[in-house]
Amino acid sequence: MTEEEHVSQMVTMPAMRPVEVAARQDAELQTRETVFDIQGLTASYGSNVAVKGVDLAIYRNLITAVIGPSGCGKSTFIRCLNRMNDEVPGFGHEGKILYHGIDLYGDDVEPVEVRRRIGMVFQKANPFPKTIYDNVAWAPRVLGLKKNLDERVEKALQGAALWDEVKDRLKRSALGLSGGQQQRLCIARAIAVEPEVLLLDEPASALDPIATQRIEELMHELKREYTIVIVTHNMQQAARVADRTAFFSIDSDDQGRYGVLVEYDETPKIFTAPSDKRTEDYVTGRFG
Amino acid sequence: MRVSFQEELDQLEASLQEEGALVLRVLRGALNALAQRDVELADDVIAFDDDVDQHYIQIESGIESLLARQTPVATDLRLVLAMLHTNLHLERMADYSVTIAKLTKLVADVEPDAMLLQSLEDMGERAEEMIRVALDAFANRDLQAAESLVDLDELIDRSNRRFVDRVVEIVGEPGLREWVLRMVLVSRTLERIGDHAVDIGEQIAYLLTAEFREFTDASHPEQHA
Repeated sequence: MTEEEHVSQMVTMPAMRPVEVAARQDAELQTRETVFDIQGLTASYGSNVAVKGVDLAIYRNLITAVIGPSGCGKSTFIRCLNRMNDEVPGFGHEGKILYHGIDLYGDDVEPVEVRRRIGMVFQKANPFPKTIYDNVAWAPRVLGLKKNLDERVEKALQGAALWDEVKDRLKRSALGLSGGQQQRLCIARAIAVEPEVLLLDEPASALDPIATQRIEELMHELKREYTIVIVTHNMQQAARVADRTAFFSIDSDDQGRYGVLVEYDETPKIFTAPSDKRTEDYVTGRFG
Repeated sequence: MRVSFQEELDQLEASLQEEGALVLRVLRGALNALAQRDVELADDVIAFDDDVDQHYIQIESGIESLLARQTPVATDLRLVLAMLHTNLHLERMADYSVTIAKLTKLVADVEPDAMLLQSLEDMGERAEEMIRVALDAFANRDLQAAESLVDLDELIDRSNRRFVDRVVEIVGEPGLREWVLRMVLVSRTLERIGDHAVDIGEQIAYLLTAEFREFTDASHPEQHA
């Protein structure tokens, strides 16, 4: 390039304005694949409505956090995403949850297959009173995935960042592991059947800060392969790990109290400039 | 509601307003020393800057501690960031006032040109007015007042242009040459104080609208016309 061309290029170079950056972020989201498209979801137990009228899209390979005060229906919501509420007496729902365009609650959809593709980890680590190996191998065995089981168990434990700590004691009881290790074992158990989505319901609330940090680092690793939805009471945890955050709150009418989705946006937006006053009050600690 | 956190925010903001009041005093001192060729007052101004610096450091470390312990978010976060920037702008204004005092001392024995001196006093008063508007707009969360700083800044810039016209007229006079050169720096300094007041206005707008935008953009002036 001649000097003249170089100068002329500098002169014609378009100005970088802040507004262009914002537009590009939105464009990136539009090209992301939608995993869940939730349309007008209302979930109830008997006559008690837990959440009402939720519209939300969850995107592939992102971490989506669900935050909100106790009773806002965030756990009910996340459990709807893999039909964990099916066995709860009186559970009913309206609206649609489309998973890659397929209605999760459609007549021809098999709940067991749903839970294979959409794994879940709970607040309290709940390993079976079996060996570490058997804990991870259990679900693949049930599903008939018995080929190369050793490799599958090792891969899952490595994926959950637990392999190095347990590889010499795979045949010992899982109950001998620490709380943080047990929780990572539950994550290994969930990913052993190679799901697409991981639902985490308060996965670190019973753990100390070091174990919590390991789980959060692990989530960053896992999101390369999985789509993650996490329910958390800990707002700073949502701020640290999530790409997008949904804030649920409690509304009421003459029928009673129920959870509603107030705001759903990029996590930095929720924690720097939320659009809704209720979100602002919650994240700044002025409510709840 | 986190009571102690809110108290800390309130205290930091009160300290920032105090710092602003000190800046106004140090600037007025510098302008008086200049007009009256008062070397003693110029020395006082230079010494007084330490008080501003102490406030600056106290606010800076208060914000550091608050960020480390309280993890402010949303409006609280924007307030903390706006205070962090405003603190620096105020401290710079005090430093500029010290520059005026030092320049005053260098040419205190020269009989000044009355017209140029008057135009510097005009610019100084406008700078003071801008600082007051910025501090009040911050305290009152007043977006309109914050945005009005751009118009006030234009007045300083206009005075500055008149100043330059007069400089061109008299710069040839041998007895005034050094004095005029020093006063060109004073004029530039007052103009910069105005710019910092506009920057504080931008921080207020960020605090209130959650969107950072430059009120004026030297490299793209036509987009702000």
